[in-house]
Amino acid sequence: MTTEETTQPVADFSGTIWAEVDRALSGVTVRPERGLIDVIAHIPRDEVVTALRRLKTDAALHFDYLRSLTAIDREADGIEVVYHLYSTDKKHNLTVKTTLPTTDLNVPTATTVWRAANWLERETAEMFGIQFTGHPDPRTLLMPEDMTDVHPLLKSHPLAEIEVLQGEGMGYPEEGA
Amino acid sequence: MVTERAREFDTQDLLINVGPQHPSTHGVFRMVLEIDGELVKDVIPYIGYLHRGAEKLCETMDYRQGIGFMDRTEYLAAFNAELSYVMAVEALAGLEVPERAQWIRMILCELNRISSHFMFMGAFGVDTGVMGTPFIYGWREREGIIDLFEEISGDRMMYAYFRPGGLAWDVTTNFKARVREVLKSITQGIKDFDGLFTENEIFVARTKGVGYISAEDAIDYGMSGPSLRASGVPMDVRQDEPYLKYAEIDFKVITGEHGDVFDRYYCRLQELRESVKIIEQCLAKMPDTGPIMPEKMPRMLRTPPGEVYIRTEAPRGEYGVYLVSNGGNRPYRLKVRSACLSNLQALKQMSVGQYVADAILVLGSIDIVLSEVDR
Amino acid sequence: MNTDLFGLQVNVWADAALRLQLIVVFMTVVVMGLIWAERRILGRFQQRIGPQKTGPFGLLQSLADAVKLVGKEDLRPKNADPWTFELAPFLVFIPIFMGFVIVPFLVGWNIKVLELGLLYFVAISSVNIVGWVMAGWGSDNRYAMIGGLRAAAQSISYELPLVLSLLSVAMVAGTLNLDEIVRQQGSVPYIVWQPMAFAIFFIAALAELNRAPFDIPVGESEVVGGPFVEYSGIRWSMFMLAEYAGLLIMAVVGASVFLGGYAWPLGEELGLGWQVVLVGAKASLIIFAVFWIRASLPRLRIDQLMGYSWKILLPLVLVQILVNGLVLVYGWSEAILGVVGLAGVVALVSITGRAANRPRQIPARAAALKGEAA
Repeated sequence: MTTEETTQPVADFSGTIWAEVDRALSGVTVRPERGLIDVIAHIPRDEVVTALRRLKTDAALHFDYLRSLTAIDREADGIEVVYHLYSTDKKHNLTVKTTLPTTDLNVPTATTVWRAANWLERETAEMFGIQFTGHPDPRTLLMPEDMTDVHPLLKSHPLAEIEVLQGEGMGYPEEGA
Repeated sequence: MVTERAREFDTQDLLINVGPQHPSTHGVFRMVLEIDGELVKDVIPYIGYLHRGAEKLCETMDYRQGIGFMDRTEYLAAFNAELSYVMAVEALAGLEVPERAQWIRMILCELNRISSHFMFMGAFGVDTGVMGTPFIYGWREREGIIDLFEEISGDRMMYAYFRPGGLAWDVTTNFKARVREVLKSITQGIKDFDGLFTENEIFVARTKGVGYISAEDAIDYGMSGPSLRASGVPMDVRQDEPYLKYAEIDFKVITGEHGDVFDRYYCRLQELRESVKIIEQCLAKMPDTGPIMPEKMPRMLRTPPGEVYIRTEAPRGEYGVYLVSNGGNRPYRLKVRSACLSNLQALKQMSVGQYVADAILVLGSIDIVLSEVDR
Repeated sequence: MNTDLFGLQVNVWADAALRLQLIVVFMTVVVMGLIWAERRILGRFQQRIGPQKTGPFGLLQSLADAVKLVGKEDLRPKNADPWTFELAPFLVFIPIFMGFVIVPFLVGWNIKVLELGLLYFVAISSVNIVGWVMAGWGSDNRYAMIGGLRAAAQSISYELPLVLSLLSVAMVAGTLNLDEIVRQQGSVPYIVWQPMAFAIFFIAALAELNRAPFDIPVGESEVVGGPFVEYSGIRWSMFMLAEYAGLLIMAVVGASVFLGGYAWPLGEELGLGWQVVLVGAKASLIIFAVFWIRASLPRLRIDQLMGYSWKILLPLVLVQILVNGLVLVYGWSEAILGVVGLAGVVALVSITGRAANRPRQIPARAAALKGEAA
């Protein structure tokens, strides 16, 4: 449960698969949000893999396809791990999100649910410094094997000089942190 | 049963390193094959040699500057890559794309799919061991298409022609005639490849039954595009979640039955024919005049806070762009979902138990572009 | 001891030395011509022009290549076995060169007419495989080793069909003397009586020469040049020279044994010029077919290659020999041979087609390995 829940405005979920998801995830803390295209389900990290497995095995939902797995660095608000799910026969989508506090970046691995998560988690792990506990092959994927202490996609990771210059040339005061 | 006597004849497995400078790794991909005689026992892929941090770089760039980076992630089908990106920006900014621009985008994307598939045919022919002939055949057809792209966008590979909202500038006045001209040559090219490959006994013997992957495994590994459809899964974003004007177009989703190398090749060949059909329909429906950009475009494009995951069907599979905005003129986070990365994950499943020569074919048959894998 | 050379009486050894010199010059020139021809022909097949900048029609391209190759540094990997590595090119090259001794280019123009010429040719042309294996083993490179071992397996498998197909002609001819065989074909070449033997000879020759679609040992998309992967400069060019010289010798022997060499269809009494044209035309036909196949066919896999030799070519050529024996023993008409041979060619084509279009299956051993790895 996150504290944001109370501040979230009540959204309209008619015409979406939220009712089905809510039924399948009974007993799991889940907070829905209506995205531009897909429904986004926020799930706490302790329950996320249980929820994902249930979403996959549920006969009516059958999310058998993991489209994408990544993370977003929300700086002070922690890091969000994002799963994009799809069902190849029911043809519907769902986005699952879980927020990790910056002090404790670990989340159970989803490789036990989809094998597709393997490389995607390896990439996310090295880019954000997230630990996917129970991952069968926790080597680096894109980064050099010995560069395990650098996490380029974190907002705190410094940009190269040229990138800084480029950012300055077009900086706008209202954006960013 | 392994007896003591048989164990004396056990041989040591050999590790061979394929790539990153091997002629058949299609770029800078490296895999270590563990082989027992000629049979592959294990495959350990290594990627990342082409990692440029495009996602991080895009966070420092204006939305329009990002288009160039998307071109470079998928250089064989840059229009398709641009499309996902600009569609994501449009979805966030709430831009309405004029109808004519949508038709032009569709035609260009399908042409790009054709050019990319021809490139696959050529490179795959070299993988099977024909000395250059299919390569040049594929190149010939691709050259015609690229010339057309150059006339329209001014560039042969990195077009940067799609812009959030529409197109950078209008197409040439003889656009329709030129596309029809190119289509004619493509139709002949498809026939040539049918004769060169599909009816070639050695090609068939080499590819049928090789590199099998079942539909369940393919889905589980997150494969997409022709590589997934060859296993019999009719998953095509153009059909399932139509974008642009695909809902108004009549086309077939090509699927295979066996999920082997031959089906992956044959699906692509048939997809070429489908693409030609799609383009012909587009040409018939596309208005000759009309706007290509919305009336009012802000000088500096800003998006309200939010996020969107846009997926389109690129030649190699689903090309997804996950764009998160916090209300500025540049992405807060941009994630490119690469079809090749997911397809490549299944490499081990497909090549273990095959001959060394087949492992090369399997790698060729999933048609990877390393710059898309590594980004 | 003196012998006749252009009507002059010269010492046997001087004569042999002279002829050898001629052969070396002839071979080098022809091989350079062949390389040029292959590049031009492949260029035509692939809708490009091919070499054109060096000399008229790019004729001097091979010469330019040769100069470049000689000028290159001769590298040897640090851990390579020096003797094996450096001797291998010679062991590939010399047997091919020795094969030229018996080749009947023209009447009386072989260096030596051997009574067992065909046997000598077969024996000497298979020695070069030792060089291939040495190159593969000595290079200290796993690609090279795989390539070398593949070459050995392939050579051993295709030696048998090659020898037996030549033997089936020798049975009918009643001699192993190449000149004698050519002379017997004054009116009808042996391809008419032995079409299947010719088909098998051609296929096996492709495999022996490691030409497409049997270029498995050097398979560029898999083992990146196989045994030659570590060679450069002059040593690599010796392999190249051997490859094309082998092609030449195989084409001339094929033309002599099956297509009537210099004798058919105009008789052996013709002038030298005509004989040169005849042999050249017939050999060129075979060489062109080899280039044509290279431009259009993919490479076979090693197990398919072995299976094709042992399960298809060998039984068929044995049947041919059996029929030959029956015809010779019972004195039946030669027409039977032609009919049987043609039927054999049809059988060969249909069996090959069926083998290629077999239903899909995963080999049991591969399936077991898959289970292990899963």
